[in-house]
Parts: sequence; structure tokens; C-alpha cells
Amino acid sequence: MSFTSQIFHLIKKEFVLEWRQRYALSGILLYVLATVFIVYSSFIRVPDTAWNSTFWIIIVFASVNAIAKSFIGESGNRTLYYYSLMNPYAVILSKMIYNTLLLLILCLLCYAAFSFIAGNPVQNVQLFYLILFLGGTGFSITFTFISAIAAKSKNNATLMAILSFPIILPILMTLINLSANALGMIKDTAYTNDILILIAIDLILVGMALILFPFLWRD
Amino acid sequence: MKETISYIFTFLFLLTQNSLFAQTAHDAFMRSNGKIYVVIGVLISIFIGLVLFMVIMERRLKKLEKELNENG
Amino acid sequence: MKHWWKILGVLLMIYSIVAGLAIPLKPGIYDAITASKAITGAPIDIVAVGYLTKFDNTKDDLRAWLKVDNEHAIASTAIKVESESRLKVSFDIPNNLPSADKTVDAALIIDSKKNGYSIFPSAVFIKNTVGTNSAAGWTNAISNMTQHQGMSFPYRNILQETIRNLFYHVPLWFGMMIIFLISAINSGRFLKTKNSKFDHKAASYASVGTLFGILGLVTGAIWAKHTWGAYWSWDIKQNMSAIAMLVYLAYFVLRNSFEESEQSARIGAVYNIFAFVTLPMLLFVIPRLTDSLHPGNGGNPGFGGEDLDNNMRMVFYPAIIGFTLFGAWMANILYRLKAVQQRLLDKAFHSA
Repeated sequence: MSFTSQIFHLIKKEFVLEWRQRYALSGILLYVLATVFIVYSSFIRVPDTAWNSTFWIIIVFASVNAIAKSFIGESGNRTLYYYSLMNPYAVILSKMIYNTLLLLILCLLCYAAFSFIAGNPVQNVQLFYLILFLGGTGFSITFTFISAIAAKSKNNATLMAILSFPIILPILMTLINLSANALGMIKDTAYTNDILILIAIDLILVGMALILFPFLWRD
Repeated sequence: MKETISYIFTFLFLLTQNSLFAQTAHDAFMRSNGKIYVVIGVLISIFIGLVLFMVIMERRLKKLEKELNENG
Repeated sequence: MKHWWKILGVLLMIYSIVAGLAIPLKPGIYDAITASKAITGAPIDIVAVGYLTKFDNTKDDLRAWLKVDNEHAIASTAIKVESESRLKVSFDIPNNLPSADKTVDAALIIDSKKNGYSIFPSAVFIKNTVGTNSAAGWTNAISNMTQHQGMSFPYRNILQETIRNLFYHVPLWFGMMIIFLISAINSGRFLKTKNSKFDHKAASYASVGTLFGILGLVTGAIWAKHTWGAYWSWDIKQNMSAIAMLVYLAYFVLRNSFEESEQSARIGAVYNIFAFVTLPMLLFVIPRLTDSLHPGNGGNPGFGGEDLDNNMRMVFYPAIIGFTLFGAWMANILYRLKAVQQRLLDKAFHSA
């Protein structure tokens, strides 16, 4: 199989598996709705600053939950055999692409839930969608790679949190700064710089993940 | 180990209490003579860090010595 | 001599401590006390409190100015020495201000042959009571400034003697970065060769780097308390350094969460490299996004300029090299201890 068809097949496999375990996906979606509702009921009237930071924090926690399981199911003998046929780069890339798609849906849903329940203060909508895209990509790259590390250990839920949160912080802070721009809280015309930083961070992380994953993979 | 930890916490607690009540006296001392005592404090904390490293090495060596003694 | 670098490290550390503490500061103005508000068209007396100054030795050649900007200043009308560290300077403020602002702040400059010149920024805030703006009465009269003779470090008003912490606080961070880099390189070599020697090296360097980082946080907190006013100012660079420490503490937790040593070493090495790549983002990229009290961020001047003059460089750079070499020595000892432990374990394993 060629590299691209490997990726294609692996992504397809992820979708099929996800569809078989619909309850996991719906659990995450319900998680988002419930937290948004809690945020709303604790604030009643959500100020813009709180909207901005809680939005991203909810997305971070929901993504950790959604992605943490992505390598845990991969320990059985059958999958080991399955993966011995595959290129490790195809494995990690397919996981990242699939998780990015998942996170983008999650982000959009979170945005929809927020605007429905807590109001929609976004002024620059195009910029906000771009931020959602970049943020979803960055989160999915980092969390996918860290979940590959954490899945090797027994207490992976704790490890997932302590390994990924410090690393996700530069992305998260840049995102909050950028989306404050999109919300019109700060007027900074030089936000293209932040976008470039985000793209650079994403590229560096993808590069590192691709270089390091084969070492993680071969047990 | 447990004792060490409790000592550290007691020490930290006393330190914060002390700085709460004796804030001004402590500050006045640290800021006298052109704040030179701040530099002294920094140097002392680096020294304490190095001593801490020595303690860790000591404990590791002790473990090795014990292993050697047990295995002949 | 295979120990030359350890000796060099210790010598450089001793040099940085001795030279960093022994070289005096330049004489400077510590405080400027005014009895009344400064307004246009009125005289004002300013009492300048000096630090390390010898005003009483230099009665005749004392000169003083109030400076608004580079083109506009006024000279003093009278100077009276009260003691070696107190000086009463009188000015006649002109009827108008050179800029359109309602209030301008003026720096007090005092110059003498013996002490050199010293500047106290924002000594007085002059209020424009007449309401006209013109440069009449303000001249660019500052000339023939005397440089302080002899070896000295610059005087900065809030920093004072703590400017010396540049030699003890900052090299900890530089040393930490270099040591973490060595650790990441050793992790890479481990992944390539699968030789557990490199894993022990990587772990040892990471331990020493973390110790340096924690010391950097502690020394920074002490320094911050007496210059910024609080141990922890929630300054972005402070937060980021604390988070960088969390990254490396997570590395140790990760290493200890595996029973098999090969797996622990391999996965630890992967995380170590991944974490090291994110360090520059934490420490350098993000602090540029928001304001910081640290130099080089949010409009504060960076290293260089007057804060790091040539005398300071001559101590600062050796201090960085000295701290790094000393840290490498510490890591080396830790590594050798681990290697011996490993050999003992292997021996016990083979004989059993």
C-alpha cells in the first residue's frame, strides 16, 4: 500500500471505530454542553473576558478527554499485527488528521453552544474561525503525541494531564490573546504576528512528533 | 522522608508568618546599605541549593554502599 | 589535564563572585526631595540624597541641571552641600514649558569631577500654571559631563546594589538552558544507539537543570521582592519559568511510572526532546506577547545599552560559562553515580 492510501485507510478505520462506539463521542459532546451550561449558570451574564477564557479552557479539557483514548485501544495483539504492516508516520499522521477533524467539530459545537446559551460576543467572525482552526490543529497535534506517550504507562489519565498541560500553554495563551482580538476586547492590528507564531508552533510540533514517533512505536 | 517534608512545611509556614508580622523590619533591613543584603540572600540561596545537591548525592552513595556491603 | 573544565568552571565562579561583589557602584542619586510643588515661573529647592557620593569633597566643581528632554534643560542657580550625601539644589523654573503637556517630568542631573555625573529620572513634575508653550528659558546647556574614574558598575535607582544579581540570577537561567540542551542531545543519542549510558547522562543533566531552574525561581523571587515589591508578581516570565519547571518535573514522573528500565528510558527520552523543543516557546516567544517587568519585554529595554556596560559584561559572560561548567560537573558526578549503580545491578543480575 502506498503511504497516502495507508493514511486514508487508517483514517477510515478511526471513523468506523468511532461509529461503533458512539457513546464515547456523544459523551464528549454532552460534556461540552454540560460545562457550558455550568459556566452560564455560575455567571448568569457572561462578561467578554470570562467568555473568552472559559471557552478555551472548556475546549482544552474536552479535547484532552476526546484524544486521551486515541492510543489506549491500540495495545492488543491484533492491532499490533495490523500496525506492523503500516508505516509509523502513516499511523501518527492519520491519528492527527482524524483528531483534528474531531476537534474542529468539537470547537464548532462548543462555539454554537456558547453562542446559544451564553451569547455570542465575536465581532470578527472570519478571524475567529481561523483561530478555531489553528487552535484545533495545535491541540490535536500535541494531545495526540502526548497520548501516544501516556498510553504506554498504566496510570495514563494522570500522565496525560501533567505531560500535556505545560506543553499546551504557549498555544493556549496565544489563542486567548488572538481571540480577545476577534472579540474586539483589544484592538491590535498586528495579530498576523500571533497567527504566524501559532502556525510556526504547529509546524514545529508536527515535525518533532514525526521524528520521535517511530521510537515510541517500536516496542 | 515524611518527617523531612513536615519540617519543610513547618519551616515554610513559619517563614510566611514571620514575613507577615515582621514585614517592615525585614524589608528595612534588606533595603539598607543599597539593598546589598538582597545580593547576599541570592548568594545564600544558591549555596543552599548546592548543599541540597550534596545531600542528594550523599544519600545515593549511602544506598550504593549498603548494596555493596550486602552483596559482599 | 582532563579536569581542566571543572577547574575553569570553579575559577570563573570564584571570579564572578569576587569581582561581582568587590567592584563598587558608581555614585548615584538615591532620592530627590522637594518641599513644594514644582510650578512654572517659581523657584524650587530640591534636596538630592546621594548614594556613595562625596559631595563635601567636591564643593567647588558641583554642577546641576533639570532636564526635560535632550534639547531642553535649565542650570541650577545655587548648590548647597549639606553633608557628604545630601545636596540642596535651587532652580528658577521658566514661565513656560517646552512641550504642550500640562505637566512634564524633569530629570535631575548632578555632575562633579570626583563623583562623575549621575541622573535621577522624574525628580520633579513641573506643572504649567501659565499655560503657554515655548522653549524660551530652556536651553541645551548640559556639557562637559564628567565620567566617573575607575572600575565601577552602573547605578540604577531601584536596583542599586542588586544590579549585581545579574551575575548570579541570570547565569542560572542561561546555564539551565544549556544544560537542558545537553540533556536533550543525550536523549537523542540514546534513541540512536540504545546505550543506557546516554539515558543516565540525559537524566542527570535534566536533574541539574531543574535544580538550576528552581534556584533561578527562588533567587528571582528574592530579587523581585525588593525591587518590584512582591516575591511573586505574576510576571509572565516568572509564570513561564515555573511552568518550564513543571515540564521537567513531569519528565521525572514519566520516567518513574515505568517498571521496565528500557521502556522508561526510551519514552523518557522521547518526552525530553519534545519538551525541550517547547521550552524556547515558553521562555522566549510567549513573554513577548504581553507586558513583563523583565528587561527586553513589553517596552522595557533589553540587555545592552546602559544596563549592561562593558564592566558588567566582563563579569557577566564569565559567570555564565562558570555556572554552566559547574552545573556540568554536578551532572557528571550524578551520572557516574548512576553508572556505578547500574553496573552493580548488572553484576547482581548476572551472578544470580
